[in-house]
Amino acid sequence: MIEVCNAGKTYRQGTREVRALRNVSLDIGRGEFLSIMGPSGSGKSTLLNLIGGLDQPTTGEIFIDGRPLHGIPDDELTLIRRRSIGFVFQFFNLLPILTAVENVSLPLLLEGIPLAKIRPQAFQLLERVGLGERAGHRPEQLSGGEMQRVAIARALINDPAVLLADEPTGNLDSHTSEEIFTLLASLNEKGQTIVMVTHDRRAAAYGTRIVTLKDGALSEDISLGVDAT
Amino acid sequence: MNLANLLRHISARHIKYQKAQTFLALAGICLGVAAIVSIGIVNKSVLRSFEDSISVATGRAALQITGSQSGFPETIVEKVQDVPGVEYAVPVIETDGLLSRGKERSIMVLGVDVLIDSQMRSYSLSNESADIPDPLLFLARPDSILITKAMAEREGIALEQRIQVETVLGTRTFRVRGILNPEGPAKAMGGNLAVMDIYAAQMAFGKEGRVDRVDVSLMRGEELETVRQRILSVLPMGYTVETPVGRTRQIEAMLSKFQTGLNLISIFAIVVGMYLIYNAVSISIVHRRKEIGILRALGAKRKEIMRLFMGETLVISIIASVLGVGLGILFAHSIVGTLGRIISQWYARTTVTGISVPWFYPATGIACGIAASLVAAAFPVHAGSLISPISAIRSLPWSDEGFFTGRRLKIAAAFFLLLSATVFCIYKFAGFLPLFRNKTFLFSSQIFLLLGISLLTPAFLKGFLSLFHRLPTTRLGSMGMLAGLNLRKNITRNAVAVAAIFFGISVFVNSAGFVYSLKESVMTWLDAVIRADIIISDGHPSSSTNAQTIPMPVDMWREIEKVPGVLSADPWRKVYMDYKGRRVLLSVVDLIRRGEYSHFMVVRGSDREIRRLLPRQDNVVVSEPFAAQFGVRAGDVITLPTPSGVVRFGVVAVVVDYLYDGGTVSMDLNTYQRHWGDMLADQFSVRVRAGENIAAVRESIQERLGTDRKLYVLPAQEFKDEIRKVIDQTFMFNYALSAITMIIACFGIIITLLASVLERTREIGVLRSIGMLRKQVSGVVLIESVLMGMAGGILGSCAGIMTGWITLEGASYSSLVQYCVPYGSIVWAMVMSVGLSALAGLYPASRAAKTNIVEALTYE
Ligand SMILES: Nc1ncnc2c1ncn2[C@@H]1O[C@H](COP(=O)(O)OP(=O)(O)O)[C@@H](O)[C@H]1O
Ligand SMILES: [Mg+2]
Repeated sequence: MIEVCNAGKTYRQGTREVRALRNVSLDIGRGEFLSIMGPSGSGKSTLLNLIGGLDQPTTGEIFIDGRPLHGIPDDELTLIRRRSIGFVFQFFNLLPILTAVENVSLPLLLEGIPLAKIRPQAFQLLERVGLGERAGHRPEQLSGGEMQRVAIARALINDPAVLLADEPTGNLDSHTSEEIFTLLASLNEKGQTIVMVTHDRRAAAYGTRIVTLKDGALSEDISLGVDAT
Repeated sequence: MNLANLLRHISARHIKYQKAQTFLALAGICLGVAAIVSIGIVNKSVLRSFEDSISVATGRAALQITGSQSGFPETIVEKVQDVPGVEYAVPVIETDGLLSRGKERSIMVLGVDVLIDSQMRSYSLSNESADIPDPLLFLARPDSILITKAMAEREGIALEQRIQVETVLGTRTFRVRGILNPEGPAKAMGGNLAVMDIYAAQMAFGKEGRVDRVDVSLMRGEELETVRQRILSVLPMGYTVETPVGRTRQIEAMLSKFQTGLNLISIFAIVVGMYLIYNAVSISIVHRRKEIGILRALGAKRKEIMRLFMGETLVISIIASVLGVGLGILFAHSIVGTLGRIISQWYARTTVTGISVPWFYPATGIACGIAASLVAAAFPVHAGSLISPISAIRSLPWSDEGFFTGRRLKIAAAFFLLLSATVFCIYKFAGFLPLFRNKTFLFSSQIFLLLGISLLTPAFLKGFLSLFHRLPTTRLGSMGMLAGLNLRKNITRNAVAVAAIFFGISVFVNSAGFVYSLKESVMTWLDAVIRADIIISDGHPSSSTNAQTIPMPVDMWREIEKVPGVLSADPWRKVYMDYKGRRVLLSVVDLIRRGEYSHFMVVRGSDREIRRLLPRQDNVVVSEPFAAQFGVRAGDVITLPTPSGVVRFGVVAVVVDYLYDGGTVSMDLNTYQRHWGDMLADQFSVRVRAGENIAAVRESIQERLGTDRKLYVLPAQEFKDEIRKVIDQTFMFNYALSAITMIIACFGIIITLLASVLERTREIGVLRSIGMLRKQVSGVVLIESVLMGMAGGILGSCAGIMTGWITLEGASYSSLVQYCVPYGSIVWAMVMSVGLSALAGLYPASRAAKTNIVEALTYE
């Protein structure tokens, strides 16, 4: 469903060039829970950002459901993000001016759907992540784990083809992290495709497949799935 | 931890990384300082050129005697010469002439007594005219004239050439008998000056037997004040004996009206500058919360944190102020010429040739810039120093309210509003106490009103936004919702930008309402007063009341009546004079002739009484502003200074008269000529015989009389239309003022939005990542700017209506003038505020749209 073909990314800093990603090829199937691992600076975020259409590869191609993500106008790419991709970040990245339910509704609000129509659906999602009572709270009134759940609910509201998470527990304690991973695993069980960056081996174990990056190149690709159990 | 260390190692890096904010703060203060410096320099330069003109034209004169604008009897000179202590008393004619040669040029004509004037002033003739300075020869020929070298070169006039100068008697030909070296008086007026013999000048400019000024030099060892008192005691009332410097002060007073507006702009510019600094510093503190926390945790004291930020501000403000001084001088250079022209056209004659930069203005500018920056920075810095190590490390939400809490603001606002109302009531009801009955007092009432309202802006903006939030959210969708919420987040900061628009719009609506209300009344009055068919005047109606014109001999009416088709012609004369230390206008009509067809608009008294008591008698009517200003009523007696001494006049009636807002006194022509001995006229009202074509009669008047002099012959309707234009133009200055404030206000909007966009970088990254289109991102910013513009426009329109009403009350032109709300202009004001703010929002919006998503997501 997601095809990464020889994708490379080079950052230019003045005269110095940083090759963050070199010729990475990767196929991700529907329903997979892929964990991307690797040491810090190995290019994990870069890869995830390319898959999510936040950035364009310097070389190579990326397709989602057969549609290219490279070389298309910004508006088109933005609409793909809005309709087919859900993001969860390390720093939660909620809008502090909006309440939890408004934050969750945001992607559909951008479509021009009135808040009143989205609200029930957003509410349902918040209940699904266990925050039904916190719908009217602002981010500053929530704990880190709660904020991340709101972020997950927001990522799900457009019923995305793939949920992308970049170190979603990087800012959380281990107990809360467990809860988040369990939540993601349960979503995956219901058929949600997930790509998650983590450098925590235990976290990766929640997934169905682990790829490891080293110096911007793919170094390992292990399927856990049925074989592992 | 020491300040120098912190500054060197931390601040320098921040300035490097926060280029945008640092630049904005710098630019803000720089502009404010530039405004102060340039306005100061321009003012000083204009005044300096007056002083120069006066001092070179006065030579050794220690005192100058001036009287009525129409001149005073020559016999005064002998009286003054006889005063003990007076060395020389020399008569001077100082009048305007029009050099008709290609492009007409207004020149100053100095008529002096050639035989003795060299005792007072130094004249030196250029080599080519070496044989000329034979005074007797010069005198023997009344067509002799001397011009300056500067003028000769500019106009290409050679020695012995004939030149044509328009005088009261029409265009006369003179022969250039000498070219003056740029020395003494010839340096004044940028060389636009000609010297004649006093007798010839008196003849040419209708001042037979009279002089405009007597210059007095003192005997060695005499004391100035003693001699001045002695001279005063031999002169009739109504004369002014002053040092040449004293005359500059009169001009200074005239300029003060102009300066109030300019000073307002400087203050406004500095306030905007302060706001930018306030903004930059608070943003910088928000950004550096963590750093502050860490420094505090490492053992930096509160005071040291404060000093660090104040130190940074100091460095920036010094750089900005110095740059501002440079910019200000540059700016002064480019506008001084234009401004000089405007001033000499409107207020007094001068030619500004260069700028002078006294150290005072740059010094004030730098001091103001630094002080304003430090004061502005103090609030956020104080709030920043209160950041605790923990709250800095955990990203707690930041509120910019701090010192300016809602309650304090409201109390302050209430205070100023109350103060404004009190001041206004005192003005209105404190009777005729001159202490309160002046424009400055009323002006302060308006300033307090504006101040009070601007302190209410945060509260107003809050209310406005919640209204906006409630009404059309469903329609505007996500963008409208986000825009509203973003504005609400930093209410104080946004309120300041709104206040800036509010200020600009209120200035605009204020003058619009004033003009609109006044115009209708003035036009009604004109229709009542101008009943003639054709108006002949010495100056175009669009030239202001003070403009220099060359009057006509009063007897010209006889010639006008000889033109076929003319039924009657009667003169009008206007002269300014000092009454109880203020300038008032003396308006003179031939009541017997004009009374046949036109009448006064009477407020107190009756038209019948006027017709009975004014002609040939020492009675007058006064205008409402005059009556109000000096507490004069119908039936009172006033004493007016005339060239032959003080005369008592009975006040028969109070009438409507919009000629001059300082007050008008009207009297009969015969009475005027008897006391003033002035046989000139500024205007003739002509009636055309029934059945005659007005345009044709106008043509023939122009043909018969207009060849010899410059005449404006206009059908009455056209004349009135021109006056309508004049009224509109008079307020162009106010419109220009509001345009400038609006531009500065837009600058404020750009800065506010830019700051807000920078601050929200990460948020914008998030929004983009979850699928917000670029145009949606910029849409949010644009909606924010439009909302700010709307809020400012609404508040400004309301305030403008109130201040406009106060202005009209204060102008006290007439009790008949009613304030009318200028709805049309308010629509314009709204269009302007929304349109300009949207324009101002464009750049921040495009900045926001260009945000790089990946970088924004890692932005702190
Ligand atoms: N905007 C950028 N400019 C320059 N170099 C970058 C940029 N973003 C990332 N890099 C570099 O690319 C490499 C990979 O970064 P990243 O994908 O963020 O690593 P990871 O997420 O695995 O820690 C790193 O060496 C990083 O320094
Ligand atoms: Mg990373």
